[in-house]
Amino acid sequence: MSRFAEPMTRLIDELKKLPGIGNKSAQRLAFHILRSSADDAAALASAVQDLKAKLQLCTICNNITDVDPCVYCSSPTRNQKLVCVVEEPTNIASVEKTRHFNGVYHVLHGSISPLHGVGPEQLRIGNLLSRVSGGEIEEVILATNPTVEGEATATYLAQQLKRQGLRVTRIAMGFPVGSDIEYTDEVTMLKAMEGRREM
Amino acid sequence: MALKESEAIVLRTYPLRESDLLVTLFTRLEGKVKGVARSAMKSRRRFGGALEPLTYVRAVYDDRERRDLARLDSCEVIESPMASEVTYSRAAALAHVAELLDEILPDREPSDAVFRLSLAVLHEMRGAVLWMPLTYFELWMTRLMGFLPEFGECVVCGRELDGNRAFYHALADGLTCLDDKRIASSELSPESRKIAGQMLRSRVSEFAAIEWPKAVGQDLRKFLLQILERHIEKKLVTAGMLERIAG
Ligand SMILES: [Zn+2]
Ligand SMILES: [Zn+2]
Repeated sequence: MSRFAEPMTRLIDELKKLPGIGNKSAQRLAFHILRSSADDAAALASAVQDLKAKLQLCTICNNITDVDPCVYCSSPTRNQKLVCVVEEPTNIASVEKTRHFNGVYHVLHGSISPLHGVGPEQLRIGNLLSRVSGGEIEEVILATNPTVEGEATATYLAQQLKRQGLRVTRIAMGFPVGSDIEYTDEVTMLKAMEGRREM
Repeated sequence: MALKESEAIVLRTYPLRESDLLVTLFTRLEGKVKGVARSAMKSRRRFGGALEPLTYVRAVYDDRERRDLARLDSCEVIESPMASEVTYSRAAALAHVAELLDEILPDREPSDAVFRLSLAVLHEMRGAVLWMPLTYFELWMTRLMGFLPEFGECVVCGRELDGNRAFYHALADGLTCLDDKRIASSELSPESRKIAGQMLRSRVSEFAAIEWPKAVGQDLRKFLLQILERHIEKKLVTAGMLERIAG
């Protein structure tokens, strides 16, 4: 038997599915929402709904966007000949923070992970290859994480891309091996971009 | 609190809560140990690349009373798999070693033989040659776990199999002769039985110079995997990945 009324239990159960939210935190959040105004609660609910309804993947680069193509792919001021490949959409912010990259992106939505059964087939690689086969792209920077999985992904992509006669570079290991680009400060990220090497 | 220090091989990590990592270590001291690396997700500087799967480390951890999870204090890299080029096939081979060890080893039961085998095999996996060390690893894991059947005679009639054809079945132990083979059996070639015999008598490094494409010992690896998967009662994710890799 639940100690709470059904709508409360339902909200707590949904909140518990979020990362880092345990039972206690879920209850605290649910009671906070209960005490807040009807307007605030409605704003939260519609923000959650809009997120799913209005966001999609950019058909060119797989970035999460509300307009397709995304702001990077459709920007006339960005260098469309220079593509930076990242594992996750959140990694774009890390590269942007350096303010020294003016190219565009390609998001893989993961990395090669044999332990999780994720091979190259499960990543969004197809539209990268068709993108470069158009001949418009001059350089691809591989900015996957400096982990075994990120390295395996970069090595695999380098093989595929070099067949098309492209310049393929890998960001320098300026940040510690095993780390995650998402948690990297902008100076380290900038050094990594500057020190990229030919693959 | 008892602080322990041991050589170890990192098998797996999982994100835990906001920024911690749950780490499975194969320690020389105590066998498989699960521990928590606090704040490892955010401040990876503290552990660096030491928590990448198949890194050979010197780990310091402490066991807290009444908890099965140790707290990982520090991890110093002795040898990293990232010291050599990480290709897709190499990553899959390394992951296979990690998955098999993780699935098959019981918690907190030391095995120096398995530890030494793992180190030797990882050492041979630094280059592009993968199928040889993989075959050696699967064979010796099957042997060290006590699952390896006799290669020399038919389990049904006891007939000598040397110089004769030999068969195995997914659901049965051991090899059979042609007369006793069950429906849907597969053949284990004389060449592969010979390889197995040599591998059981030699160190993995002695095979390093031999050319070893995927096709060599493929039936032996399939035979061994069936035995191993039957004992752990599940399919290994990485075995399917390796199967899809060419050459
Ligand atoms: Zn885009
Ligand atoms: Zn027989």
